[in-house]
Amino acid sequence: MLRVADLHAGYGRVPVLRGIDLAARPGEILLILGPNGAGKSTLLRTIAGFIRPTAGRVELDGRDITGTAPEEVTRAGLRLVLDGHRVFPRLTVRDNLRLGVAFRGRQFDFGTIVAPVFEVFPILRDKLHAQARDLSGGQQQMLALAQAFVAQPKVLLCDEPSLGLAQALIPPILAFLRRWAAQGTAVVIVEQQIEVALDIADQVAIMERGAIQLAGTAAELKRDKRVQEIYLGLGERGEPLMP
Amino acid sequence: MQDALIVLVHGAGIGAVFALIGMSFNVVFNSSGILNFAQGNMLVLGGLFAFLVLPSSPGIGPWFVFLPASALLMAALLAVQGYLTLLPLRSSVEQHSWLITTLAASVIIGAVLLIFQGTAQQTVRSPFPSFWFLGTRVPAPYALSLLLALVWFGLLRWFHTRALTGLAISAIAQDLDAARAAGIRVHRLQILAFAISGLIVGSAGFVAAPVIAIANDSGVSYVLHGFVAAVIGGLGSDLGALVGGLLVGMISMYAAYTYGGEFQDAVSLALLVAVLMGRPEGLFGRPAARRV
Amino acid sequence: MARWQLVLGILGVAISIVLPALLGSAYWAHNFLVVNLFVTVAVMQNMLLADAGQVSFGQGALFGLAATTTGIVTGLWGYGYGAGFVAGIAAALVLGLLFALPALRVQGYYLGFVTLSAAVVFPQLLVAFDSLTNGINGITVSLPGLTQAGRAGLSWTSLLVMATTIAALLGHAALRGTGTGRRMRVASVSPEAAMTLGIAPGRLRFLAFTLAALGTGIAGALYVPVLGFVSPYAFRVDLSIFFFFSVIVGGSGELAGPVIGVWILYLVPNAILAQLSVYRLLAYGMVALLIMLAFPDGVVGSVVKALRRRQMRAQIAPIDLAAVLQDENAQARNTAAPTAAAAITVQGARKRFDRLLALSDVDLTVAAGRVHGLVGPNGSGKTTLLNVISGLIRLDGGEVRLHGAVSSRLPAHRLAALGLGRTFQTPRVFEDMSIWQNLEIGADLRGTRNHWLLHALQRFRPAWTGNRPDLLAHAQRRVLETLRMVATDADILLLDEPAAGLSAEERRDFATLIRFLRDRLGKTILLVEHDLHLVWRVADRISVLDAGQIVAEGAPAEIADNPRVRALFTGAADAAGR
Repeated sequence: MLRVADLHAGYGRVPVLRGIDLAARPGEILLILGPNGAGKSTLLRTIAGFIRPTAGRVELDGRDITGTAPEEVTRAGLRLVLDGHRVFPRLTVRDNLRLGVAFRGRQFDFGTIVAPVFEVFPILRDKLHAQARDLSGGQQQMLALAQAFVAQPKVLLCDEPSLGLAQALIPPILAFLRRWAAQGTAVVIVEQQIEVALDIADQVAIMERGAIQLAGTAAELKRDKRVQEIYLGLGERGEPLMP
Repeated sequence: MQDALIVLVHGAGIGAVFALIGMSFNVVFNSSGILNFAQGNMLVLGGLFAFLVLPSSPGIGPWFVFLPASALLMAALLAVQGYLTLLPLRSSVEQHSWLITTLAASVIIGAVLLIFQGTAQQTVRSPFPSFWFLGTRVPAPYALSLLLALVWFGLLRWFHTRALTGLAISAIAQDLDAARAAGIRVHRLQILAFAISGLIVGSAGFVAAPVIAIANDSGVSYVLHGFVAAVIGGLGSDLGALVGGLLVGMISMYAAYTYGGEFQDAVSLALLVAVLMGRPEGLFGRPAARRV
Repeated sequence: MARWQLVLGILGVAISIVLPALLGSAYWAHNFLVVNLFVTVAVMQNMLLADAGQVSFGQGALFGLAATTTGIVTGLWGYGYGAGFVAGIAAALVLGLLFALPALRVQGYYLGFVTLSAAVVFPQLLVAFDSLTNGINGITVSLPGLTQAGRAGLSWTSLLVMATTIAALLGHAALRGTGTGRRMRVASVSPEAAMTLGIAPGRLRFLAFTLAALGTGIAGALYVPVLGFVSPYAFRVDLSIFFFFSVIVGGSGELAGPVIGVWILYLVPNAILAQLSVYRLLAYGMVALLIMLAFPDGVVGSVVKALRRRQMRAQIAPIDLAAVLQDENAQARNTAAPTAAAAITVQGARKRFDRLLALSDVDLTVAAGRVHGLVGPNGSGKTTLLNVISGLIRLDGGEVRLHGAVSSRLPAHRLAALGLGRTFQTPRVFEDMSIWQNLEIGADLRGTRNHWLLHALQRFRPAWTGNRPDLLAHAQRRVLETLRMVATDADILLLDEPAAGLSAEERRDFATLIRFLRDRLGKTILLVEHDLHLVWRVADRISVLDAGQIVAEGAPAEIADNPRVRALFTGAADAAGR
């Protein structure tokens, strides 16, 4: 499982995260919501080793991975799927998948390992030899997730999987994440739009200005009006709503 | 007509050497955004190796044995250089130290050559006889260089699109963050890219040894021609380096033939400035090149 | 901080010339004349690299061209040394301008390669044009009047060399104190921020190359009496690389760096390996490599860094907003009552990047003396619109007017001069200037230091002059950047996500600052911000941008209740029905 304690980080001198605590348990989906600029992507990138935290601790299954390089974090079993369906555009679908599993060595049979992916996203099998840049945005997101899936991480971090996708493409992608979590993976999803992933989440945390303002089960937060208030910058901390 | 043919053939031959340097540039540049200023002297070292190991009238057998040896030796040397070059880049915010470290490496190699052989220029004889092509005598090293450039072009293409390691290096060039997120060990592959560039210049220097200047101060000229080739074709594109190299070779050979050898470099410089002012991304280049 | 370096450098130059002459050591006297000529060139290279940010590997060619031209005019054509001296400098200036030409188009290693090529080609051309240059035979020039030792063993030549080198050091230090020098550094660190401060980076690059060519040309012309002989072999590419390495070894940007760098690279091999001249090249290659690996800041730079680290523990006065906000000078600034006139008008703005339509038919009117909020999701085109208004991006269609006059065809630095200011998402604070200089660079735009803001902050001046902004926390850098913009006297201010990275309390303070700018100073403000909370509190009007189009506009209360806007920010379909 993933445990984050009192995490502080930023870009250069600009502080973004101000003391984040969270935990993601195997088999559960933790949804992190928050408005634009709340620091959600920074949080995922810091956990995954792309940004060195200024304070705090990141633990993967009890092992301290704070400040470890991203490629080593991935090898330790924590995989980040970056936002904007980033795959390797001038490589084929097959090669993108091969690279996803490459670090696990040669004892894995490619066919076996990608079979579950093709079952959920058959389009990837059909386009196996197409270059990734020729896929649609939704297909690229499927590929990005598939590339992470074949790595069989213990913890999956997923940055705005719905970003830039047509509405119809989002449900199968979320369903895939749900199934994936059910296999015992701890899944952390970041989304900006409140309702996109609320139905598949177990736990929800609302981030704003680099801190977690609200946290609870998905069921609790669904009914909580404060969620929208936080999003719209209205009426928190007893301040007047309007000037 | 005959003159034009000579210019064309010799230009293509020496242009192939420039193309090889250009491709060796690309391997490193694509993986790390670094341009290795020492690449020209590395080529000269490959030539020097040929001079040291081949007898004055070499046989074909030893030549085939020492060709891979030269490539491997230079690969090892480039790996060490790559390690040193990448060292300050890992911790420091200053991301331009490579300008100095690779230039320093170039100076050091030139200096070592000066110490061991003075200002003399070594000559190497090819085991292959020259042959006649369309009524023009073609020295074998020119033809072999061209062949080598085509072979390396093919090998690199295969490596970058088929071999898993090559795919990983391509992935670094295409999206560094996504590559790291996929668990690709970037640093090791960058050093490997340096080593591969060593294989290229090591073999090129050996093959072209009879037609290049093996001297302490000729490396800079080669690195510049290689750079011009790579820029004309578009930095990062091997096809570009191949085409650019041949173009630079022929144009500078034409200049040398018409105006004299001392104008060869000047014409390349003019070519470089013209390309940079007119089309900085080159013939086959993609506009925005990424950095380390 | 810089003064001791200047004193050290000048002392080093003077002693190195006077002492050997006094001691009567012809060998060292001669060597140090060469060293000091090289120091002059390295000082120019230092200015070019550190102040103007231009990578040139070809300064040796400028030096050689000046020397050769002087040699030809004096030694071959028989004119006086004065004529040769002038001709040499003129030739160097011409080549310097040729170097500056590609610098307008390309930067970094591209420019490095171009200049390096020039350095390779230059000696070849000297040989090629041997009818003019005497080729490999070189030119012997005898100037006994200049080279004969006079009082205290010093010749006119040594006095000239000493004066030139000291002048170069003083000139470099003086340049840093001037507005031009500061603008040069700003343009090198961040060309786009420079443009928004009214600076044209291309012009400063030209100036830097010209100044460097001037200094290098004088040194080259003096090389003739020092050596008495000019040959192409002296000006090979190694010389250019030597100058560049000297700067790096000494410490790029440090005033005394070139002196130390040249001494180390030239003297150490010369003294230790005098008998083994072939090892010299190896020595300076190794020194440059080792310095880069072990002390990337160079010798002087590392010392300075260590000293500064010790100082870091000292606290400096934080930027005191209250002092600014209460200044009585500021009270009188807002002469004009807010009028209904539009300060910014955007009409039918269109901008496309590749396949992405960043702005499609955007209309926006910002009333003078008001705060106008611009909000919208990531990638909706807010920053693009800001860049368009500030002249950093050209529109594909439509136009922008400032106070009614079409502005969308003017370059950014012209707009800045017309009174448009902006800040950036990451504050553009210039690290190698003092905090005070960071403010002054704003006032420089109006050509005066006599700005009420600088007066209002006068009591912080001592602390801020002695310290660099690396001591400031992010929020203070944000304020510093904003105050600098105020110091430009811009009346239209564009703020790009000023609240990012600020804590809740810092945001409140910043909101106060924005109101102050509007109410007391009468500024027009276009505020791009993710923090809606801040926008509701300070904006008079708000426009909502989505996918490159304005989807809503109105007073904060209207916008906050607009269901479409609520849905846009929360992604919740039932946002309206709460």
